[in-house]
Amino acid sequence: MVHLLAKLPPDECPKLLHRVVDGICGREPPRLADYCDTWTLVEWMELLQFLSSLFRVAVGKKMPDKEVLALLEDVGSGHGEAVLTALRARRDEIRHALVEKTNNMSSSTLQDFDWQIKLALSSDKISCLQTPLINLSLDVKKNGALKAVSVEMNREELQKLISSLEAANKVVLQLK
Amino acid sequence: MEEVDKILIHSLKQTGTNVGKDVQSVKHFTSELIVEAVVRCLRVIDSALGSGLSPSLPPGMSARFRVGMSLAQACQDLGYKGEIGYQTFLYSNEPEIRSLLMFLVEKLPKESAEALDQPAGKSALLQKSIAAQIKAQLAMPWLPPSCRLPMLCKTQNPGPSYSFQCQNLSLPHFRNVPGNKQLKEEKDYHRDFLLPVTAQLSRHASVPASLMEHHAAELSATHEWENEWNSQGLLSRLTPEEYRSRKRARLQKRIDEQLRTATQPRPDSLSAHRSGSDLTELLQFFGGSPLPGDILTKGTRFTHTEKFTFTQEPERSAQQMAAAASSLPSSHQSEEDLQTQQQEELAALQQKLQQLCLSLEEVGGDIRQLTVSKQQVSDELKQKELSNAEKEDSVLVKKRTIDLLPDAENNLAKLQALVEGSAKRVVNLAAQWENHRAPLIDEHRRLKELCSNREMESSRKLTEIKELHDKIRQSAEEAKKKDGLYKQLITEFENLPKDVSRSAYTARILEIVGNIRKQKEEITKILSDTKELQKEINSLTGKLDRTFAVTDELVFKDAKKDESVRKSYKYLAALHENCTQLIQTIEDTGTIMREIRDLEEQIETENGKKTVSNLEKILEDYKAIRQENSALAAKIRDA
Repeated sequence: MVHLLAKLPPDECPKLLHRVVDGICGREPPRLADYCDTWTLVEWMELLQFLSSLFRVAVGKKMPDKEVLALLEDVGSGHGEAVLTALRARRDEIRHALVEKTNNMSSSTLQDFDWQIKLALSSDKISCLQTPLINLSLDVKKNGALKAVSVEMNREELQKLISSLEAANKVVLQLK
Repeated sequence: MEEVDKILIHSLKQTGTNVGKDVQSVKHFTSELIVEAVVRCLRVIDSALGSGLSPSLPPGMSARFRVGMSLAQACQDLGYKGEIGYQTFLYSNEPEIRSLLMFLVEKLPKESAEALDQPAGKSALLQKSIAAQIKAQLAMPWLPPSCRLPMLCKTQNPGPSYSFQCQNLSLPHFRNVPGNKQLKEEKDYHRDFLLPVTAQLSRHASVPASLMEHHAAELSATHEWENEWNSQGLLSRLTPEEYRSRKRARLQKRIDEQLRTATQPRPDSLSAHRSGSDLTELLQFFGGSPLPGDILTKGTRFTHTEKFTFTQEPERSAQQMAAAASSLPSSHQSEEDLQTQQQEELAALQQKLQQLCLSLEEVGGDIRQLTVSKQQVSDELKQKELSNAEKEDSVLVKKRTIDLLPDAENNLAKLQALVEGSAKRVVNLAAQWENHRAPLIDEHRRLKELCSNREMESSRKLTEIKELHDKIRQSAEEAKKKDGLYKQLITEFENLPKDVSRSAYTARILEIVGNIRKQKEEITKILSDTKELQKEINSLTGKLDRTFAVTDELVFKDAKKDESVRKSYKYLAALHENCTQLIQTIEDTGTIMREIRDLEEQIETENGKKTVSNLEKILEDYKAIRQENSALAAKIRDA
């Protein structure tokens, strides 16, 4: 699989590698459309998988440079150096991403949240309601699938939620 | 009457009665409309009383009758004095309905004037304006996107409703801690390949959210660290790095324990071949899991704060465990030798330590003793110096007396003279002092009084000033409040419906009052005329009577003598009688005319009551009731 990388000239290598690392860190991975002249779809998938797992393993196991180079000896030394440079530059970020992933170990984890405040002026029965409502949407990742959970709460319910979250935080602080 | 009807209809509309446009006066009110109007009014006046009544007339005749009865009862409960019954509603006549409606409209609660006195708070105003805005927006028609004017774009585009999502950002200062030198490759990357923040994300909308999330995470991490450092770190008297490393070690130990307890009791679980007891492998599995295609997305604040403390555990513990594993076998071999050696060394060192401790204690005791003795000596020195000075003084006095001794008498006299002179001088000075003192004391007292007076004055003025300040503040507040109230009232006034012009009403009322005054004057004029006429009539009858009596006497006297005169006397009597009859007849005619007028008026009022049509209606309703009754009877029979 490594030989696939040799198809790209060494000058363009760093850009691709950095985009791959971006993909590991949770941003846009590189797109085939930019490289469709160089690789086919299957090759592209293989290469991408190989590179990302290489970066992960290298950072996660703290491989010395020589071992990484040994994995890359099929391609030219220029390409190997490029991979190594990218790895050195982005080591911290990759490690960060990996640590975060280990943090999200439980069956479902909160990925993101968003909220909106609404003011209900009146309802079909009461002409003057004036009740603030919060619309909390949680992006929960469960078994790798992203699921959106949306909750509408009034003031008391929100207070309840916040107090229970604070209690949870206290438990975490005690763990420290 | 039109004016009155307009007012009535307007108030009824305000209570929620659905008065049609073609209904211009009470004359046009149908039974249904009357019932509805009365029920609405009752509901507004007394919700408990009105809630049991339905505003629409039921179709059944007997039910209608019952509704009329209950309405009449309710009106009487409210204090309506006039004649009222079911017929008022079902077979209405105009004046009765008008008086009833006027009574009800007068009973309607006035616009709660007290509530308006207080200026509404800012929030109420805001809510009002929000409601107005929304109402306006709802009133505007929806347009397809291509037809929208720029004014509508703001409210009808779905623009502000997308949700915010955040992603990780790559920033150069990310872990740029001082002391942690940047690699050359990192610098190159930052210079050549790192995209600007706005281009890093796939969706443009999530840039601000991501930036804010990033910032909040860093901020909260810093805060938490500062809190912890201030509360616990400073107490531990370590440098921040030491504190961090110690905490890390503690946490690592904890995690190791947790993992050990978690892995050991379940060796036959999913990861049996990995878990066993070898933690290094497990941790490596966590550290470098080569899962492809998994996208790591943004963590929450929670995970962020955790990550700052847990950052290096997995690798660390991995290293540690590896080191422990490698060192284990070698340590087993020389364990006994090492132990004996260490024990010996320990004993020697402990002996040394004890000796040193003893010598230290001795030296400490010496130092204490020495300091105590030094203090005593310095005290003695001070006392000695004091006694020395006293003695020197006494020596000086004695020396002088010895000098004076040889010429004792002279010196004694001189001394006495000196003493006398001194005494005199003292007395003199005392007198002088007294002389001076008295006015000064007076002055002092005067000044003191003045001072206290001034103080009192100033305190009084101070309190006055304070009061004034309070008053000013109060007035300012009041003015502000009144200003707000004024503005609110102005806006409310502008918002008020303009269909009822108050000025027209007042002008009309004034006109009516003027008319009444004119009528009153006319009536008094007519009354005085009548009185005059009466008086004239009375005087004329008196005159007539007297004239007749005189004539009668004269003619009667002559009648005894002359036959022709007797005849004329008879004629006179007949004339008088006829005239009296005539007057009587005229009077009778007048009363009859008055009666006729009364009757005509009565006929008019009866005509106004729509008697014929009402009678027809009553007949129809009677038939309807009979039909209902017969139907009911048939039902009973069938049953």
